[in-house]
Amino acid sequence: MTELSSPALAGLVVLGVAAGWFGALVGIGGGVLVVPALVLGFGVDFPVAVAASLVAVIATSTTAGSVYVGRGLTNMRLAMTLEVATTIGGISGGLVATILPASVLGGVFAALLFVTAFLMLRGASHPAVRIIEPTATGTGWEQPGELAGGYLDLARGGIVRYRARRVPVGAAVSLMAGAASGLLGVGGGFLKVPAMHLGMDIPIKVAAATSNFMIGVTAAASVFIYFARGYVEPLLTAPLVIGVIGGSFAGTRMSGRAQPAVLKLALAGLLLLVAVLMALRSLGAGFDA
Amino acid sequence: MRDLDRPPGRDAPHIVQLLLRVGLAAATVMVTAGLGWALATGRETSLPVGLGALLADAEAPDRLMAGGILVLALTPVARVVALLVLWWRERDWTFVAVGFAVVVVLVAAIVLGHA
Repeated sequence: MTELSSPALAGLVVLGVAAGWFGALVGIGGGVLVVPALVLGFGVDFPVAVAASLVAVIATSTTAGSVYVGRGLTNMRLAMTLEVATTIGGISGGLVATILPASVLGGVFAALLFVTAFLMLRGASHPAVRIIEPTATGTGWEQPGELAGGYLDLARGGIVRYRARRVPVGAAVSLMAGAASGLLGVGGGFLKVPAMHLGMDIPIKVAAATSNFMIGVTAAASVFIYFARGYVEPLLTAPLVIGVIGGSFAGTRMSGRAQPAVLKLALAGLLLLVAVLMALRSLGAGFDA
Repeated sequence: MRDLDRPPGRDAPHIVQLLLRVGLAAATVMVTAGLGWALATGRETSLPVGLGALLADAEAPDRLMAGGILVLALTPVARVVALLVLWWRERDWTFVAVGFAVVVVLVAAIVLGHA
């Protein structure tokens, strides 16, 4: 049970708009922002915050997916391939969470995030994308039977073709992202986007759109459990969802013209923020409800 | 707007987009109406609603909002099944197998979670 005044309800809508906007833009569900904000800012119990966050993740995924799929930015075959790993990771994460101390898990997780953020900032592995056809119109596509396709990048002024490489690397990180989701109640997009971009040579915009598409499935599997156990509070979740849907639509409108370098910088900044939060939490100084 | 190099008959993106939009629209209407109803009655206490209470003893605004949340949660699951069927029709057997694996793991996750 959570007490919600009118300003608090308005605050939830604003939180949802921010999480949805940023989530749709960089390919995360926003759970890494929503859970700490609900626990620290609104005094919500941790499992209830995780349940609300998972619904917000699904809202971001569905909203952004409904736009990016139409634009041909999402590679649905790549998404489905990696979803095998994320869902298996989700089960593993849930089982491991009951065995290992939370401080150890948090420390490992924070270290992983620091490394990923560092790689994103350095741009350690630029995907070999090139403009094939200069144009300002059209939609993207994916190649049947393969993990390849092309998309229209307005910021680059043409069509960019791509082909997934090192799929086992992407699958391994997706497994870890799924485990993180099962452990912490987040979508795991902040791991999947760098994995696809740096590990599989997928352009950052396709990686973000495909990650957005995937996280809804990962979160949906978990949210039914939270629903069954009575952790979903509709009055808390509804304003958040409304804000997320509005914010996500705004994020998708910006995505087409956003510079890839700006997206990388934004994601690296988010990774560093979450890494610090996780490190503080594992040391006992952060949120821990 | 023209499609670039997309083989004819490959309509999966449009069907998936329609499915996501319908699910999103239904969920938005239900959640917004339920929230408005709850606020009109002066509610300031957020109560949990389980799947069982959704059909039984929860207050009507809560049931409407929870119903919307349930529709939202079912939408990504529905699109996994839809893609499975669409790729089956396209005879893209590799990804039919991949999609089937996701459905199996999803069911296993839900069953294990309840256990």
